[in-house]
Amino acid sequence: MEQLLDGFATALTPTHLLFAAIGVLLGTAIGVLPGIGPAMAVALLLPVTYGMEPTGAFIMFAGIYYGGMFGGSTTSILLNTPGESAAVVTAFEGNPMARKGRGAQALAAAAIGHFTGGIIGTILIVLLAPFVAKHAVDIGAPDLFAIMVLAFIAVTSVLGSSRIRGVASLLIGLTLGLVGLDEMTGQQRLTFGSLHLADGIDVVVVAVALFAVGEALWVAAHLRRKPFDPIPVGRPWLSGADLKRTWKPWLRGPVIGFPFGAIPAGGAEIPTFLSYVTEKRLSKHKDEFGKGAIEGVAGPESTASASAAGTLVTMLTLGLPTTATAAVMLAAFQTYGIQPGPLLFQREAGLVWALIASLFIGLTLLLVLNLPLAPLWAKLLRIPRPYLYAGILFFASVGAYAVNADIFDLLLMFVIGLLGFGMRRYGLPVLPAIIGVILGPAAEQQMRRSLQLSDGSLVGLVNSPMAVIVYVVVLLIVFFPLIRKFLPKPAPPTTPAPEREKVDA
Amino acid sequence: MSVKVWVAVATAVLAVLLVPPLLTPGADSGETSQVRTLRVLVPNQPGGGYDITARTAAKAMEDADLLRNAEVFNLPGAGGTVGLGRTVGERGNGKLIMSMGLGVVGAVYTNKSPNSLLDTTPIARLIEEPDIVVVSKDSPYTSLQQLVDAWKANPGTVTVGGGSAPGGPDHMAPMLMAKAVGLQPKNVNYIQYDGGGELLASVLGGKVAFGVSGVGEYRDQIKAGTLRVLAVTSGKRVEGIDAPTLKESGVDVEFANWRGIVAPPGITQTDRDKLVDLLERMHKTPQWAEALQRNGWTDAFAPGDQFKTFLENENKRVATVLKDLGLA
Amino acid sequence: MTATRSWLRERSELGICALLVVLGVLVLTDALRIPTDFAQRGPVGPKAVPILVGSLLLVVAVLLARDVLRGGRGEAEGGEDVDLSEPADWRTVLLLCGAFLANAALIGVVGFPISGAILFWGAAYALGSRAFVRDPLIAAGLSILTFVVFNNLLGVPLPGGPLMEVF
Repeated sequence: MEQLLDGFATALTPTHLLFAAIGVLLGTAIGVLPGIGPAMAVALLLPVTYGMEPTGAFIMFAGIYYGGMFGGSTTSILLNTPGESAAVVTAFEGNPMARKGRGAQALAAAAIGHFTGGIIGTILIVLLAPFVAKHAVDIGAPDLFAIMVLAFIAVTSVLGSSRIRGVASLLIGLTLGLVGLDEMTGQQRLTFGSLHLADGIDVVVVAVALFAVGEALWVAAHLRRKPFDPIPVGRPWLSGADLKRTWKPWLRGPVIGFPFGAIPAGGAEIPTFLSYVTEKRLSKHKDEFGKGAIEGVAGPESTASASAAGTLVTMLTLGLPTTATAAVMLAAFQTYGIQPGPLLFQREAGLVWALIASLFIGLTLLLVLNLPLAPLWAKLLRIPRPYLYAGILFFASVGAYAVNADIFDLLLMFVIGLLGFGMRRYGLPVLPAIIGVILGPAAEQQMRRSLQLSDGSLVGLVNSPMAVIVYVVVLLIVFFPLIRKFLPKPAPPTTPAPEREKVDA
Repeated sequence: MSVKVWVAVATAVLAVLLVPPLLTPGADSGETSQVRTLRVLVPNQPGGGYDITARTAAKAMEDADLLRNAEVFNLPGAGGTVGLGRTVGERGNGKLIMSMGLGVVGAVYTNKSPNSLLDTTPIARLIEEPDIVVVSKDSPYTSLQQLVDAWKANPGTVTVGGGSAPGGPDHMAPMLMAKAVGLQPKNVNYIQYDGGGELLASVLGGKVAFGVSGVGEYRDQIKAGTLRVLAVTSGKRVEGIDAPTLKESGVDVEFANWRGIVAPPGITQTDRDKLVDLLERMHKTPQWAEALQRNGWTDAFAPGDQFKTFLENENKRVATVLKDLGLA
Repeated sequence: MTATRSWLRERSELGICALLVVLGVLVLTDALRIPTDFAQRGPVGPKAVPILVGSLLLVVAVLLARDVLRGGRGEAEGGEDVDLSEPADWRTVLLLCGAFLANAALIGVVGFPISGAILFWGAAYALGSRAFVRDPLIAAGLSILTFVVFNNLLGVPLPGGPLMEVF
């Protein structure tokens, strides 16, 4: 505790505060740019810090990291073009909200969600770092596969009104996920000999193509010819009713996000999706989901931010990067001759605690700077419709092209965009396809890895306590409707709660 | 159409044509011995091995005034073969170099890339990084001999983890070891992780029997005593790591991951000499020496033709192993 | 003849079934093409999941076809800017596709500032903007700004255009 206070003393000097503020601003600005996620943002800004002393540099990085993550959600909400994979889920509800003139509220819910998730996540870093360091490595492939199975079960709640069309969409997503070199054996699958497809199709590309490009084409086909009303901007702040609906999702986010961030190969995509499904189940406004439910923004954003904090735990204590951004940060540490790992807290205690303190400060600055900006951002949507959709296409194209400087990516985006157009025309929900792209490859990899670890024995899938617990939960969810029939009295409808708690255990 | 429209269109056209070049610093001109601008292609993600090597080298060259401006850019994909394709496609371009390493050699085969590294103009090998054979502190194996005995008896359950795709360094090392101790590479139960970090977790957690990886991310864990190094794969022992070489432990393999620089094919002899000379001078700078030290890299400088011969040999070695596995 | 046509028009969703069948067949043939003579550990190889996904695609295609023939219809997605009472306006869609593809075709030839401006202006035109003075200027401004931010400030290279080497 004393060390943390020392850390605050270091981080709160005017110079360091300035660095944190610059980091947050730069991170948000660059995170908003298409095609540049937080990993790229940190990599691009690395040279800015050359010549700074390490503490200042890392305080700035912390700002860039959180700022970059937040910038990704901004475009997700306003333009339906997620800037990075952690923000894909935010677009599900955030963009419909923005279209209804509740963009400012969506952004505010995201900003506060980010803040809450980040603060709780950072507190957990302080409290749990040694514990996490000890147990994160116990989570292995069978446990991860069990969680994937649970996530697949959860997909059923986003299939939409027509089950069969939802499943068709999920399968299209799984097919897209198959593309690329098979990780375990190096065999080509659906690459048609093209090197461009060897690494598979990035989920951000799929999401932007299905959401943004598909939507622009669909709108073009049925453009409302009446004079447009500008999208109303509405009240800039969250109303009391909004707060009542969002405070619980904000607090639940870290419960899901933090553990996922901390475990190897956890990432942010799957926890944000699980958070979305949980919020949908628990919400009193289920009918609003898909049309702009504020819980669907608050929960996933808080989850994403807490998972980012979880990532930092494993990186600092084990020297183990669990996401691309963490890998870049690790590289940054190494350029300063600092090796994160079990000895870091002893060797560089001052630096680490200053970094942790600056996480708190960075998050606060992020909130302070972005909350007032939310109504301004939301006004962006008042530009005339032709410009809005032209801008979305422009933005999506720049993002697809800038990363690899390859025309192939533009064509790929166009083809998937056409697919998104067809799906909209025939009522195939877009969501399950995105989830298929996220879950499919991860599930296959963890399953095959588990089986390889056990040398082919099926026991390898269930030989860990955590996997068994998760499977029990899965069985309960699947068979609960059956069990309920045999119960004398119908159970109160609070069923999903235990599911969530056990997943995070 | 009114005059206004024409004026607007003309202004727009002129602006898009003229503003970008005016705002971008002038291109290279003049024939000085100092190379002024150079583009460095990195064929993997920011933060990856080739990326760090390229950026470190570029920075050392700029700091030592060997180069005015080095523009490092990433073109990741397919284990580096997308970048390789681009380099080979830029035939004759003497102002482009690509940072690469052993991983790209294997990726050419596993991705069935139409371009080979042998098409490029090798400029220099820069560094080497030995791999280590590592187990967690709770592992039953305390010496390489014990591990090899168990491995030979039961290659299926004695699993090997590595941080690289088939054909990459962490995959090659155990396969070469297997061959040396008389195991069929096909029988090796190699489990691929996404990089050294994810592998580290499963070695620490005892999920795999042993791991093979670069030293880099592991030094701290080794010092803290949570990991036990059974052997290093290089010919010589590694400073700061208390472990024998493979050869000392009776496994006749000498192996190290390496990284270097190649240029597009068909560049002029003058351009090639300039680039080799540039890297030779960079190699002598204190900035580079300091960077080697900081990153824990072993200096393995080999210019031009030396590197070319080495590259051909490595290519053969990788191809043989991958053929055994049915991957090439 | 016309009867068949209107029958098909009514059931154009069968096109989605056809797409699923094509995808399924594609996935299955691709999976079966994967050689088996390479080293593989574990009972599940690279083929298993594609075969599962491919077969499911075929099954779902059949189920969806049955649903359509029994009168089920996918509900076209509504939205704030979408007017479903009008028939599809293919001209706008094609113009928009044209603008997108023009950018892809031209970016390598004439550079990003020009192709990006064409994309923006073309898309705005397709969507009904007819401000001939303002549109090209906005398109050019946006394109140049993007170029400068990416290429000059961030060092993410974008092709600059034919005049890049002149100055």
